[in-house]
Amino acid sequence: MTAISSNSNTEDVIVIENLNKWYGNFHVLRDINLRVKKGERIVICGPSGSGKSTMIRCINRLEEFQEGSLVVDGVEMIEDVKNIETIRKDVGMVFQHFNLFPHLTILENLTLGPIWVQKKPKAEAEEIAMKYLERVKIPDQANKYPGQLSGGQQQRVAIARSLCMNPNIMLFDEPTSALDPEMIKEVLDVMIELAQEGMTMLCVTHEMGFAKKVADRVIFMDGGEIVEENEPEAFFSNPQVDRTQQFLEQILNH
Amino acid sequence: MFNEKTIEEVKSANRKASSDATSTAFYNNPRIRGLFYQVALVAGLLYFFVTVIGNTLDNMEATGIKTGFAFLDAAAGYDVLMSLISFESTDTYARIFVVGFLNTILVSVIGIFFATLFGFIFGVAYFSHNWLIRKLAVVYVEIFRNIPLLLQVFFWYFAVLSSLPSARQSLSLGEAVFLNVRGLYFPKLVGGDLAWVVWTVLALAIGGVFYLRRWAKKRQEITGEQFPVLKASLALIIFAPLMAAALTGFPFTVDYPALKGFNYFGGVTVIPELMALSIALSVYTGAFIAEAVRAGIQSIPRGQTEAARSLGLRENKIMSLIIVPQAMRVIVPLLNSEYQSLVKNSTLAAAIGYPDLFNVFVGTALNQTGQAIETIFMTIIVYFIVNMVISFLMNRFNSAVSLVSR
Amino acid sequence: MKEFQPSSPRSAPVKSVGLIAWLRDNLFSSIPNAVVTIAFISFLAYYIPLLIDWAFLSANFKGETEAACVNDGACWVFVNAWSYQFFYGTYPPEEVWRINLTIVLLILVIIGSFTLPKSIRLKTSIAAWLLLPVVGIALLDGRLLGLEMVSTDLWGGFSLNVFMATASIVVAFPFSFLWALGRRSDMPFIRSVSVTFIEFFRGVPVLSLFFMGSVMLPLFFAEGTNVDKLIRVWLVLIFFMSGYMAEVFRGGVQAVPKGQYEAADSIGLGYWQKIMLIILPQVIKISMPNILATFVMLFKNTTFLLIIGIPEVVQTLQTALSNSYWLGGHALEGYLFVFLVFWGSCFGMSLLASRIERTMNTDKRD
Repeated sequence: MTAISSNSNTEDVIVIENLNKWYGNFHVLRDINLRVKKGERIVICGPSGSGKSTMIRCINRLEEFQEGSLVVDGVEMIEDVKNIETIRKDVGMVFQHFNLFPHLTILENLTLGPIWVQKKPKAEAEEIAMKYLERVKIPDQANKYPGQLSGGQQQRVAIARSLCMNPNIMLFDEPTSALDPEMIKEVLDVMIELAQEGMTMLCVTHEMGFAKKVADRVIFMDGGEIVEENEPEAFFSNPQVDRTQQFLEQILNH
Repeated sequence: MFNEKTIEEVKSANRKASSDATSTAFYNNPRIRGLFYQVALVAGLLYFFVTVIGNTLDNMEATGIKTGFAFLDAAAGYDVLMSLISFESTDTYARIFVVGFLNTILVSVIGIFFATLFGFIFGVAYFSHNWLIRKLAVVYVEIFRNIPLLLQVFFWYFAVLSSLPSARQSLSLGEAVFLNVRGLYFPKLVGGDLAWVVWTVLALAIGGVFYLRRWAKKRQEITGEQFPVLKASLALIIFAPLMAAALTGFPFTVDYPALKGFNYFGGVTVIPELMALSIALSVYTGAFIAEAVRAGIQSIPRGQTEAARSLGLRENKIMSLIIVPQAMRVIVPLLNSEYQSLVKNSTLAAAIGYPDLFNVFVGTALNQTGQAIETIFMTIIVYFIVNMVISFLMNRFNSAVSLVSR
Repeated sequence: MKEFQPSSPRSAPVKSVGLIAWLRDNLFSSIPNAVVTIAFISFLAYYIPLLIDWAFLSANFKGETEAACVNDGACWVFVNAWSYQFFYGTYPPEEVWRINLTIVLLILVIIGSFTLPKSIRLKTSIAAWLLLPVVGIALLDGRLLGLEMVSTDLWGGFSLNVFMATASIVVAFPFSFLWALGRRSDMPFIRSVSVTFIEFFRGVPVLSLFFMGSVMLPLFFAEGTNVDKLIRVWLVLIFFMSGYMAEVFRGGVQAVPKGQYEAADSIGLGYWQKIMLIILPQVIKISMPNILATFVMLFKNTTFLLIIGIPEVVQTLQTALSNSYWLGGHALEGYLFVFLVFWGSCFGMSLLASRIERTMNTDKRD
C-alpha cells in the first residue's frame, strides 16, 4: 500500500492520501492529499462549510472517513481501538468552544489525561500541569472552575490541557473565533510561542496576521478540496487561483 | 433654564407633598397598602378557620363523633392481609398504624429500587447503537407514562396476576420459586448456629470494599497505577462470604415453599397485591425516570465527549469521569421529585386492598371510628415526613455528586 | 490566474449510504448488536402475528351478548356492548345530547383559542374558558335552563373524567396565578400563606385530598348544608390543581425578562395593569407546555376518583367486568380499550406540548 511505503520517509508526521468523506450522500472532503513534516506549522483557511474543520478532525478520528488513507506518526488510522488510542495520545486538539470540563477545577482538567491515560502519579501530574499553567500565564487560577474564567483564559487552559499530554502534533480548530476581540491576542501569543518551540501545528483560523507570522504553509480550502497551498508570503501577495484571491479580498477588507 | 431658586421651590413643594401624603392620600403609600392587604388576608383566613372549626365541632356533636386520639389505644378489631410485624385483630389502632407504615415503606423501597433500575436502563437505551433498542426505549416511555397509574395497577392485578394458574398448577423455577394466583413464593435462608460468622464476613467484605476504594485511590495518586476496583469489590463481596460458609460447613438450611393442601407454605411469600402495586409503580415511575436520565445525558454538549476523546480517554472512562458526574446534576433533582410522587402514588394500594398506611388507616380505621380529621392528618403527616426525608437524602446526594458551584 | 473548477461530487461508496449502510450502522454494527437485533426481531416475528390474530383475525366483533363471542380471539363485543356506559356513565340516553353539546362547546373553545384573530384571541378565549364550566354544569344538570334535572349520581364514564379535569384546571387557573404572584410578593405574610398553600397541596397524596373532599369537607359546612359530593371533589381538585399550576406559573413569571417589568414601570403602569397587560399574556405563552403537562397529570389522576366511589370510566369498567352476564373474563379487552382511550388523549397532549415547545425555541432564536 502506498500509505505504508510513505512511512519510510520519517520526515512526514502526517500523510493524508486521497481522503474522501461523505455525510450521508453529501461529499464533504474530496481527494485530500496532504503531507506535514515534523515541526511544520500549517494554517488552513477557507469559507465556512469548506471542510477545513472536518479535515483536521479526521486526523484524531473525531470524524470517520470512507476512502483514502491517513498515517499519523507512522501509525495508520484503521478501524482499531488500539490504533485510534495511540494516535489520540500523540495528537492534541484545541476546540473553538474550549470544551473544558465544567465540573472539574482547572488543575483537575489538566491532570485528567496524565492521570487516567498516561497513568502518572497525582503529584507528578500536578507538577506538569502547573508547569504548563505557568507557560500560559495563569498559574493563579489553578483551583478555580472553568465557569469563573474569561474566554481567553479558558482557551489558554484548553491549550495547556492538551500540552500536558506531551503531544507531537497540535490541532487548532478555530481557537479564537468564539473570543472577544481583546482576548484574541493573549491566545495567539501562546500559540506563537508554541510555534517558535518547534511544535508541529495545524491551525484552522482566519487570523491572517498569525498566518503571516508563523506559518510555513497556508492552505486554502473550498467545497471540500484543497484549492491552493503555498508559503504565506506568496499565498498572500500572489494567489494563483481566482477563488483564493476572492476569499482573501473578502476577509482582508474587513 | 432653571435657576437655583426655582429648583429649591420645586424641592420644598415636593417635600410638602410627601409629608401631606401621610395625612391625605395615605392609601397611595405602598407600605400602607401592603399592610392593608396583609391585614385583610389575615382577617379573611381567621374568619374562614373560625367558621370551619365552629361548623366542624357542631357537626361532630350532632353526629356523635368523638374527638382526640384516645381511639389509638382501642383494639382495632380487624385483621390485615399482610404485616411485617406480628399483628392480631385484638391489637390497637396505634399498632395498625405502624403495620401500615411499614407496608408503605416496603412497597416504596421496592418501587424506588426497580423504578430506578428501569429508568436508568431505558434512559441509557435511548443512546444505544442499536436502532431497535432506541425505539424500544421510546415506546416504553411513551406508553407507560401516558396511561393512568390506577389503570396499570388494575391491569397487573386483575388482568395479569389473577389469570395465573392455581396453586396446584403453579409456574415454577427449579422447584424452588413458585408463581401462582395466590402470589410469588421463594425459598428463605434460615441461619444455623454458625451463621453469624458468615454474616460478619459479609459485613466485613462490604466494609472492605470502602477500604479497597480508598487504598486504590491512594495508590493511584502515588504510583499512577490503576486498580480494577469494581471487579475486585464484586469478587470480595461474593467470594468472602462463600468461603466463610464453606469453612463453617454451610450453617444454613433452606426453607423451600411446599404445597400443602391448596397452597404453598414456607419460604417467603409475596402477595399478589404487593406484586401488582410494585410492578405498576416501578414501570410507571421508571418511564418518568428514563426521561430524566435521557434529559440529563442530552444536556451534556457533544464537545465534552470530543474533548475527552482527544485526550485519549477510553469510552468507559469518558462515561464515568465526564458524562455521569455532569448528567447527575440534572438527573438527581428530577429523581427527587419522582421518588416523592412514587411514595404518594403508593396510596393507590387502597384500590386493590394492599394494606399500606393509607388503606388501613384512612380506609378502614376512619370508617370504623368516624374520626376523619385525626386519621387523615396523622396519615398526611407521615407522607410529608417521608418525603422530607427523601428530599433531604437526595439533596445530600446531589451536593455529593456536584461539588461544583460554578 | 487559474480559474477554480470545483470537482464534481462523487456519490458515496455503496456501503456507506442507503439501506445497507443504515442496517449496518443501526442494527449490525457489532456482533453483540447483531445478536440483540436477531433475538429482538425473532421475538417480534413470533408474538406480533399471535397478537394480530387475537385482536383482529379470530376476534369477535358482532353481537350483543357474551354468547356472541364464539371465536378464540378477543371479545370486542364486550367493549361494544358497554361503550355507552364507558363514555356517558348512567346518564339517561334521551338526555345524552347535553353531554355531546358540552363536548362540542369544549372543542370549539379549544379551537377558538388557537385560531381566533390575534387582536381578540386572548380576551375572548379567557372569557370563553371561564364561562365554559358554568355553561357545562347548567347544561348537564339542567335545572337552570329549565331542562329536566339529571342528578350527579348519574354522571359518569369517560366524559366525567374529561369534565372534572377541564372544570378543575379552568377554575384553578386564576387562583394559581394569584398564588404564584403571592409567592413572589414582598409582603411576608402573603408570601408565607402562599408558600404553605402551594406546598401543602403539592405535598400530600392526591388520594388523601379526595378523602378530605368526601369525608372531611362535609364537616366544615354549616349544619344542614348539603353540598353535592361531585362538587366537593371538584373543589378539592381545584385546590390540588392550583398548587401545581402555581409552580408552573412561578416558573413562567421568572422566565419573563426583567426588562419587561422595567419597561412596564417606565411607561407608568400600575401593578395590576402591569400584571394583566404585560406579564400575564407572556406567562401564559411561556408556560403552555408545562400547563399541558400538568393537565395530563390531572387528567390521569381523575381515575383515582374511583376509590371514593365516583363512577368515572375505570369504575364503570370494573362494574362491567363484575356484571353477571359478562363473567367470561374480559378484563384484557376492557383494560386495553380504556388504555387506548387514555393513551390516545394523553399522548396527543404530550405531542402538542412538545410541538409548542419546539416552535417557542425557534422563535427565541430568531
